[in-house]
Amino acid sequence: MNRSTMIAIAASALAASGACLAATKTITLPPDGAQLKASALPGYAKAQQSCVVCHSAEYMLYQPPTAPRAYWDAMVKRMKVVFNAPIDDADMPAIVDYLVKTYGNEQPK
Amino acid sequence: MSEVMNRARRRLLAAGAGMAGLATVSRVARGQGATVDLPIVNGKRNVAAYPEKRPLIVLTSRPPQLETPFEVFNDGVITPNDAFFVRYHNAGIPTSIDPDKYVIKIGGNAAGKPYALGLADLRTQFKPVELVAVNQCSGNSRGLFAPRVTGGQLTNGAMGNARWVGVPLKDVLAKAELKNSAKQVTFNGLDTAIFNGGDFVKALDVNQALDPDVMIAYQMNGADIPMLNGFPVKLVVPGYYGTYWVKHLSEIEVIDSVYDGFWMRPAYRIPDNDCACVEPGTAPASTRPIGRFNVRSFITSLSDGAKLRAGQQVIVRGIAFDGGQGIREVAYSTDGGRTWREAKLGDDLGRYSFREFTFPFTPEKGAYEVCVRAWNRSGQSQPMEALWQPAGYMRNVVERIGVTAG
Repeated sequence: MNRSTMIAIAASALAASGACLAATKTITLPPDGAQLKASALPGYAKAQQSCVVCHSAEYMLYQPPTAPRAYWDAMVKRMKVVFNAPIDDADMPAIVDYLVKTYGNEQPK
Repeated sequence: MSEVMNRARRRLLAAGAGMAGLATVSRVARGQGATVDLPIVNGKRNVAAYPEKRPLIVLTSRPPQLETPFEVFNDGVITPNDAFFVRYHNAGIPTSIDPDKYVIKIGGNAAGKPYALGLADLRTQFKPVELVAVNQCSGNSRGLFAPRVTGGQLTNGAMGNARWVGVPLKDVLAKAELKNSAKQVTFNGLDTAIFNGGDFVKALDVNQALDPDVMIAYQMNGADIPMLNGFPVKLVVPGYYGTYWVKHLSEIEVIDSVYDGFWMRPAYRIPDNDCACVEPGTAPASTRPIGRFNVRSFITSLSDGAKLRAGQQVIVRGIAFDGGQGIREVAYSTDGGRTWREAKLGDDLGRYSFREFTFPFTPEKGAYEVCVRAWNRSGQSQPMEALWQPAGYMRNVVERIGVTAG
């Protein structure tokens, strides 16, 4: 727990004991606990641009290693279609290729 | 600060010693930097302390998704706020909230009198209610599915039981004068999607939204709701999966149609059949939104691989819960499910709460497979073999742990 977090919690605890409703509660989140795995595959740099803007790398890192290409393909498409992630259509195959070969069932044995 | 960290450290060390085979802490360095090995393939996780939280298992760091270490559930049937699991969907999460300026907007095309509600009015203009209820993530235990399914790879710690204080949603809705055309009520919170797609919005049918136990909660276990659990107000839908328990609740809309945003369709759907299951590896023919919890029970005082002393009695303890009927009976077996006896139920904190159970066990020298199975007041129970569905929701198989006595 970092210092600003401790201060924010202390501030809210003080406010809760006071007469007013409460003071502003502020938190500071820790940095990402995982980074994308480095790779010579061309999709690695594109994934760094397109994927981790919105979420940390555990989303990929912790998938079961049985996850097939169809899963990674569906996820990349979902990120673009549902969440408006800034992914060029032309970059999608390379990103999917990096993901399935780094985290899915096409990892080198 | 050092006392907090020392306490966390003791907990983690205790976890490593007591949960052999279930979760082994391999490194502990002042909260941050610790890891845990969950009992699944690719199950190594960081353990870190987030704001207002003790060190928890980090499923994802941004947005935060935190799993409660299972040994917490043996500390008591109420899950402490600082140990309660966290699940966000989008990374645009609020990090600073002024409760004096906080407003919940109530409107929609089937609300006759839209209005805005501040927190002071929420607390003073309605009669508060209090109840103890389990919140469980739809995907709790997903990592234990066989064959494995994709998604958040949780073990059994995405659940918790808390005492909630708030006001009935139906009273807040009544002031908006629902029209006869009202079909569903949607719920939005302050968390946002970074590129404005896939905002986390959930919907309940109007009859469910008017259930007197559904509340807008402003207190959790006698304190403010932690920021990461939805400060300052959270929708509490007792008996229903956590996906409906919208955090930082800020917008309620009564609508004359069925809401079909991403998080209602296609996300959070289950096979539309009695078991909410399909043959492993297949897709359901049709789906419906996930709803109430099924029945679950867990031994909390012993973990898989535990070693006991032959001839010495231990009191085995655990918890059971369901989707709101209440637990009627818990049976236990020490021979892998061949013979069963009835466990003793603990205090009844209400039909939505964890229910403690205990039973005595005096092993002779040897190996034992200990199982527990609960029934609710409707006679619903748990399957002996795990059911399967592609999204990895609703796991509730009879849990089995191996112990040896010597």
